[in-house]
Amino acid sequence: MRIFKETPNFPFVKNRFLFLILSSLIVGASLFLLFTRGLNYGTDFMGGVKLQYQFPKEVSETEVRNLLANLGLGDASVVRYGNPQERRLVIKVAKPSEESASLSTTVTPELAKAFGEEGLILEQEEIVGPKVGQELRRKGTLAVLFSLFCMLVYVGFRFDFYFSPGAIVALFHDVMVTLGLFALLQLEFNLTILAACLTIVGYSINDTIIVFDRIREHTRLIAPDTVEEIVNTSINETLSRTLITSLSTLFVCIVLYFLGGATIKDFALALIVGVVTGTYSTFSIACPIYLAMYKAAPRFQFLVGKKA
Amino acid sequence: MLGSVVLAIYALVPTFFKFPQIRQELESQQKPIPWYFDFFPEKGLNLGLDLRGGIYIEMDVMVEEGIATKVDLLAQDLLRDLKKRNIEPADWKRDPASHQLQFTFKSDSDLQTTLELVAKDYKTALVKKGSTLQPQPMANFSLDPEYESLVRKDVVSQAVQAVRNRIDRYGLSEPTVQQQGDTRLIVELPGVKDPERAIKVIQQAGKLEFKLVSGKLESKTLGDLIGNARKENNLPIAYSADDVKKLNEILNDKLPEGTEIAFELTRDSATGQVTQALPYLLEQTSYITGDMLKNAQVQIDPQTSQPYVSLTFSPEGAKNFGELTKAHVKELLAIMLDGNVMSAPQIREPILNGQCKIDLGGNLDRQSQLKEAKDLTLVLQEGALPARLQEATKTVIGPTLGADSIQKSLKAMLIGTLLVVIFMVVYYNLSGLLADAAVLINTLFIFALLAMFQATLTLPGMAGIALTIGMAVDANVLIFERIRDELKAGQQPRAAVEAGYSNAVRAIMDSNLTTIIAGIILYQFGTGPIRGFAVTLMIGLMCNLLTAVTMTKTVYEFFLSRRKIARISI
Repeated sequence: MRIFKETPNFPFVKNRFLFLILSSLIVGASLFLLFTRGLNYGTDFMGGVKLQYQFPKEVSETEVRNLLANLGLGDASVVRYGNPQERRLVIKVAKPSEESASLSTTVTPELAKAFGEEGLILEQEEIVGPKVGQELRRKGTLAVLFSLFCMLVYVGFRFDFYFSPGAIVALFHDVMVTLGLFALLQLEFNLTILAACLTIVGYSINDTIIVFDRIREHTRLIAPDTVEEIVNTSINETLSRTLITSLSTLFVCIVLYFLGGATIKDFALALIVGVVTGTYSTFSIACPIYLAMYKAAPRFQFLVGKKA
Repeated sequence: MLGSVVLAIYALVPTFFKFPQIRQELESQQKPIPWYFDFFPEKGLNLGLDLRGGIYIEMDVMVEEGIATKVDLLAQDLLRDLKKRNIEPADWKRDPASHQLQFTFKSDSDLQTTLELVAKDYKTALVKKGSTLQPQPMANFSLDPEYESLVRKDVVSQAVQAVRNRIDRYGLSEPTVQQQGDTRLIVELPGVKDPERAIKVIQQAGKLEFKLVSGKLESKTLGDLIGNARKENNLPIAYSADDVKKLNEILNDKLPEGTEIAFELTRDSATGQVTQALPYLLEQTSYITGDMLKNAQVQIDPQTSQPYVSLTFSPEGAKNFGELTKAHVKELLAIMLDGNVMSAPQIREPILNGQCKIDLGGNLDRQSQLKEAKDLTLVLQEGALPARLQEATKTVIGPTLGADSIQKSLKAMLIGTLLVVIFMVVYYNLSGLLADAAVLINTLFIFALLAMFQATLTLPGMAGIALTIGMAVDANVLIFERIRDELKAGQQPRAAVEAGYSNAVRAIMDSNLTTIIAGIILYQFGTGPIRGFAVTLMIGLMCNLLTAVTMTKTVYEFFLSRRKIARISI
């Protein structure tokens, strides 16, 4: 069985400006959302207290909210977790007014009084000092940025420096789109989602390198007037592989999204977006940027050191 | 090749058959452990807290406090040495922020002798920060910087050790206590059932003191003093160490000299809220401290059948205790733990055998009293913490959530994987089957290596494995597509396989190595969960390079050369 009987010949390169405009719009929208709405950071990044309960019977968010208001805990939010049949609610207090250690010991008895003690389970309790949350955000960002830089250098040496900017911009694009979606839907951005973003980075660079490898294979044929054709052929030659890998990964993520527990649902969603953009960004961003770099070559010759 | 697969299965046997759990159960029931257990590794795969439930706490050791204690001790030593030379300073104090000591003397010669003494006997610990004769003879000392950094390190490592000892004795399976950075402490307790209790055992300072109750104020006067001070200064009715300290500072000049206030607290057994607080006026000097303790035990009073903690002092402690009780018969002696009065019994007669008992909160039921007595002896036996621990972050995950999330997610992952496995066979026929075998063996290797290195598998770690498996499938797809290209170009099967591999390997190497590089950086600079991701990713990709590239190729070569197969099922 095979997808294409003959090597396909879709005009990826010809339409590259269309792709670039589309991507710029999406990334622009994502940035806009990130700066206006912002990410809904989880307790692990923001600091504060998070309590997750499973209730013995159906309880609405408002009921719990009203109950908490009487306790005077300060700024508390109540959100449903998973689907309603799971009867799970998450209580978050950004800046607890009293000492945080005793929050669950105040809240649990009150909930037990109101909704019955039997079957009320405190499933998760998370207390993060504000300093720790900040540190985590800073360290996480630094780690990601530095690893991006190292990948840039590696790709630069293994291929040449025409390639690496495209690969990195593509990674940036994929992560931005994912973050934008999370800002749009106001889904919680926590450590698990950070792990998802790292996975997307790994997936996307893999996809990009496969196509770059094909272009590298044709290096001898590349000249200023053939470069566009070579890049387009390379994308098309790897297309069946790209489709098989991307689609099978996509299916696994979709299964995870629909069957996985609540913890993994958002993670799977991030990956679904990441797999799609990771594949898309290879031909729509990484390759066009390579072309642009190549065409601007004379100006960058001194940087590259060798002739492509 | 076959050997490594067998080795991987061998390493995973304890995990699959739950050996560690069975072993622990048998040990606790004192039953013999089956002989074949010794044949396999003792430990299985470590599941992270997010997958099995438990507590994760990061705590900051409040080093400044430990240093203050150390400086106080040095000051006491110095005062004792000065007393031997018949010098008594007019006044001395320690600056709370800089830890500088300031001594004021009655004469110039006293100052001179002190300076000489410090320069000679306290050379390693204290340095002179200046002295003056006008308007009074005075001298300032601060800790020697080198000595101070030594004390800092000591305080943290002592705290780590104390916490580790307490947890070991508390009896939990696979706890980890680590130091992170200069002052932070990380404690992980997987599968703990009563988190509040465990945390209390860790955090309790465990500072035991004996102080005399002062009779200089009526209890009503004392109550009024406290009430007024609270009203005037808008203090909350609270009893934490800081609150009591503040109260004492405000009342400093209203209380008789050399005395302080402390409370005996009664707590609600369910919520832990303070229901009653009885104030005491105490002499400031503490006569006996926790260091003078030899042993602490839970005992049951035969008459009331109430549990209590019985203390046995060291020879020095017994001597002090004997002298104290002899000199103050009929007075009240407060037994204090972490600044709160546990009880204040009357000294009926001199106690010379070095034994003493602590009663526990009377309103608790017997079961919780027993628990509290047990925890208290544990803390007292393992000694006090050198400084308080401040919670920086804490995560408690109930065992149900862990089990629930792992089961559902595992099921979903299995279904997803199965789909891919079937797809590979449909699309690449027998070669697809070969790829499936390679991916399966790859997954086996990852888990085996994680078990061997005793790395911990967390949810982000699973994400790392997912990415690895995706890339393993991709590697096979790449190779097969190349072989198909070669076959289409009219190559013979053997040549096609040869060319397919050699063409695909470059791309596979590059993409895997790039990602491994990212993994190394993430491991180096990331914290906990990011590291978990990086570890599984690096292990997985290295296995991938082995299985996808060499393993499948060996199989092809076997069939193509030995079996003389003329057509490839691809």
